[in-house]
Amino acid sequence: MTSPGSSELRGNPYFWYRLMGRDEEGYDVYELFIGPQHPASGHMRIIVRLDGDIIVDAEPDIGYVHRTMEKLAEGREYLKNIPLFERATIIDAANITWGYVRAVEQLLGLEAPPRAEYLRTLLAEINRIASHLYGFGIAGIMLNHSTMFMWAFGDREVWVQLAEDLTGARLTHSYIIPGGVRRNLPQDFKEKALKAIRYMEKRLQDYERIFVKNPVIIARYVDVGVIKAEEAKRLGIVGPNLRAAGVRYDARIAEEYGAYPELDFEIPTREEGDAMARLLVRIEEIKQSMSMIKQILDKIPDGPIFHEKYYRMLPPKLKEFVEQTGRLKLPGAFIRLKPEPGEAVARVEMGHGEVFYHIVSDGGIKPYRVRIVTPAFRNVVLYRYLTRGARFMDLPAIYGSIDYFPPEGDR
Amino acid sequence: MAPQPLDKVVEFILSPHIFAPLIYPGLLAAMLVLLTLIWAERKMTAKVQLRYGPLYVLKPLGGIIQLIADAIKFMFQEPILPRKADKWVFVLAPVTMMAFTIIPFAFIPAAPGFVGVDLEYSLPLVLSLSALVPPLILATSWAANNKFTLLGGVREAFMMVAYETSLFIAAFAIATYYGTLSLSKIVEAQTVPGIVLNPIAAAIFFVAMLMTASKLPYDIVEGEQEIVAGPFTEYSGILYMLVMGASYMELYVLSLVFVELFLGGWKPVIPALASIHPAFQGIALFIKAYLVLLFAVFLRSVYARYRLDQALEIGWKKLFPLSLISVVWSLILLVITGGA
Repeated sequence: MTSPGSSELRGNPYFWYRLMGRDEEGYDVYELFIGPQHPASGHMRIIVRLDGDIIVDAEPDIGYVHRTMEKLAEGREYLKNIPLFERATIIDAANITWGYVRAVEQLLGLEAPPRAEYLRTLLAEINRIASHLYGFGIAGIMLNHSTMFMWAFGDREVWVQLAEDLTGARLTHSYIIPGGVRRNLPQDFKEKALKAIRYMEKRLQDYERIFVKNPVIIARYVDVGVIKAEEAKRLGIVGPNLRAAGVRYDARIAEEYGAYPELDFEIPTREEGDAMARLLVRIEEIKQSMSMIKQILDKIPDGPIFHEKYYRMLPPKLKEFVEQTGRLKLPGAFIRLKPEPGEAVARVEMGHGEVFYHIVSDGGIKPYRVRIVTPAFRNVVLYRYLTRGARFMDLPAIYGSIDYFPPEGDR
Repeated sequence: MAPQPLDKVVEFILSPHIFAPLIYPGLLAAMLVLLTLIWAERKMTAKVQLRYGPLYVLKPLGGIIQLIADAIKFMFQEPILPRKADKWVFVLAPVTMMAFTIIPFAFIPAAPGFVGVDLEYSLPLVLSLSALVPPLILATSWAANNKFTLLGGVREAFMMVAYETSLFIAAFAIATYYGTLSLSKIVEAQTVPGIVLNPIAAAIFFVAMLMTASKLPYDIVEGEQEIVAGPFTEYSGILYMLVMGASYMELYVLSLVFVELFLGGWKPVIPALASIHPAFQGIALFIKAYLVLLFAVFLRSVYARYRLDQALEIGWKKLFPLSLISVVWSLILLVITGGA
């Protein structure tokens, strides 16, 4: 008889003893461990404490896919860290590595040529669309809307294919490297991209009909998981989740990196801060990204795609190969990049929100320390704040709406 | 010549008392429905979702026997009995559940004058028998002794009271108009389909039917995203097949009742088929019921799941008052037309 609730329930100990616990605040709660291998969640666990149908507390228990990325990064050369960090957010590989590359470029004192910056932006926006579609699909299946799940994942394939045309790889592009990008724009890329945009515009209307304006989705999403601007700022929420609460903050504007200063785009925000607002902000971002891709393809300047300092090192035969195929070969010295001792920070806007890198260099060929703060890690706190007082069946709705990606949070 | 023993057996099997519950429209036909309906559901959903759906089992026919393959798999899978489960209830509840979904076939008329047991009160009997399934689901959820099953069981209990009332009242609303509780008499009396006379009752019956079988948008009990498989979380192997099949069987029973109440039952009769067996001249009943089933399972690719409290709100605040209105509407019709 060691359970705190047992004295009152002595009459019927066998069942109640095990099922009923009491949390620190004295609630009679029904404790439910959802995960880590649950049909609906990724590899994470949510410890839910229920009072009837109301969630008293939901505690996200993350770390099931922790791969010690920061530590691994200390044992690899600067260039080799790019394929490593890609694997934190494999659905948004361009954006998560771009932050790292920007920090390394600061340490090296490099700047990519304008054409390379445009190509980086192009891939970043393609990845953003793919990342949002992924989140869209997960949001759909969380409410058991399997059609939305299949559609979003199927249409994501269009953008994955486009990224493959550009970089040669579907997901792990390793496209953005210090000093430039690894491939030039293929000749027929513009046609393919415009075709993809036309297709997606049509599909977004279909999504609207079957999902966004579906009465069941409206019932499940409107006024569910509301977070207001002040609270979101206090908790340090980033990305579409923050903008859906009415805060106009986006690293693309705050940092003015890549080709973004030269592009005409809007940062969609909404005031409601509920699950529906988060969904609508993402849809609007997909539209903005598509408009950006169009602008990039119109405006992209001619010129080199790799920094002159390293391009010079290539032997003439390889230079010829690069000129002909548009596929960059890296000079041997590139693997032994040796930045000056010092520190650098960089941030870029991923699909999920802002990713932050802090690199410390001791002058060696490997970084002394790399710190990554991923958007998913900053948003995971939402589980606790949005679910308190919600109904138990709101949990999957909220989970889907905050677009949490466990491998990214755990790194 | 004296009748051969074999003839006796055949005669026995073909007599309505056995033929109706066991062959058509009973167990055998229900199995056929189960096998093809789940296939059709998956195929339709796949079509909407730009996929193939089941394909590789008998590829020329689009994988139509996929469910047989699945059934064989379930048969030979080890049924796991959780150590802490109440074993008797855990095993017997699914079996009983299946039985309660088959018994109603004895009272559902399949063709003019063809019914296993002809009762004056077949409508309430069939509905009551299918209403015995939810308490058994509750029993399974309790017996499995698991947190997720218990939550599923509680949801079933909430849903049960929300839909059963409206289902019964809607059925009685149309029966009021015909002045009889016998399904065969209701079908005989229908010159205009019931859905035209009392569309409110038909709509309520259909929605309550979806809730009963926990089909989208009301698949709350099995809410796979939160509570794994609700009351059926701990089931595996053949027992899982039974609990999963029972909800489809219930849907089939209720859609037969729906067709008899609102869609004219076995009319038009096809007398030519009577030479095979008298039951088959009412094949229209089966076809209509199948179409209703197809529509019910198609909703899966359109809707998401409602929240429990929202479904209860629909049940109590919308379906229940509307079902009372449908009774009043039937009475008004009765006064105006003077009855069927």
